[in-house]
Amino acid sequence: MDPRQATVNHTPQQVLKDALSRYEQGKIAISFSGAEDVVLLDMANQMGLAVDVFCLDTGRLHAQTYRFLETVRQHYNLDLELLMPQPEAVSELVRHKGLYSFYEDGHSECCAIRKIEPLRRKLDTLDAWITGQRRDQSVTRTNVPQEQEDQAFSTDEHTLIKFNPLADWSSADVWSYIRTQGVPYNELHDSGFVSIGCEPCTRAIAPHEHERAGRWWWEESTQKECGLHAQNVIKIVD
Amino acid sequence: MHITLVKKILASGEPCRKCRDVEQRLKDGGHWPRIDEVITADERDPNSPGMRLAKDLNIDLAPFFVVRDNGAVTIYTLYFKFVKEVLQSNHRQSDADKELLENNPDLDFI
Repeated sequence: MDPRQATVNHTPQQVLKDALSRYEQGKIAISFSGAEDVVLLDMANQMGLAVDVFCLDTGRLHAQTYRFLETVRQHYNLDLELLMPQPEAVSELVRHKGLYSFYEDGHSECCAIRKIEPLRRKLDTLDAWITGQRRDQSVTRTNVPQEQEDQAFSTDEHTLIKFNPLADWSSADVWSYIRTQGVPYNELHDSGFVSIGCEPCTRAIAPHEHERAGRWWWEESTQKECGLHAQNVIKIVD
Repeated sequence: MHITLVKKILASGEPCRKCRDVEQRLKDGGHWPRIDEVITADERDPNSPGMRLAKDLNIDLAPFFVVRDNGAVTIYTLYFKFVKEVLQSNHRQSDADKELLENNPDLDFI
């Protein structure tokens, strides 16, 4: 195990402060999804820490999410960077498969174009990034550490570190923070939306449902969650 | 250099969809002759060569490639990374991004 993965049980504020002290501005940024991970921005703001923030604007977000992004931008006086997909790639997908191909053949093709490509483009410029991932969000996140080498985006030439300050927190912890600190939040949460992504691929859920039931519900749960966190390249012998 | 492709047979007896896709891509791209050995990880048989190799290497994702070169052994679980780095062939970035997402489901929720 990467020894950095053993770094657990720090408060989110400690992880944030440590991360931002280790990387110069411009080489580390918070990935803000437009949902409850707004608490990371609030924590950084309360500690007086300057941090770059980016958000993936897929072009398919809810109107409420766009309004929320603007609220957050103004509330924290942020220079919020919106990352957008390559127009040629979106155009080609839509021209050949239409606007809702994900209902027919799965969401990965659309997500690859609208999220992964712009994310990879941004991460190529960074040495570290900060996410709002929590262990309780999904069966694929049960081992999320507070700090890890990003196996998906690191290359032989470029090691990328990912910080997950909220890894230990539950959804209840997040909402307790939002309520007690008066943090702005996406109004969709008041309508039963928990995990919020693109409008066509997100729905409100019932109180007893897992938050991930609100995403890509037409796909088999095994399709959504069967992936592994295997390393992309593993050196066995040098 | 010696390249081994490990492909999976599902518990149903069917070959896995992605393994079929990878094999076809290798053939369509003219890369199939570069594969020295193909072994099967049969989910119905934990002692099948591919299942044993996957266990030894702590890999539970198929298909994957084992590349042995001058004493170094490198494992690739991403087809497009293997194609780029080992076969030194170009590919569509969108295909690579799609594979990256499918192999890292956490990225769904970014």
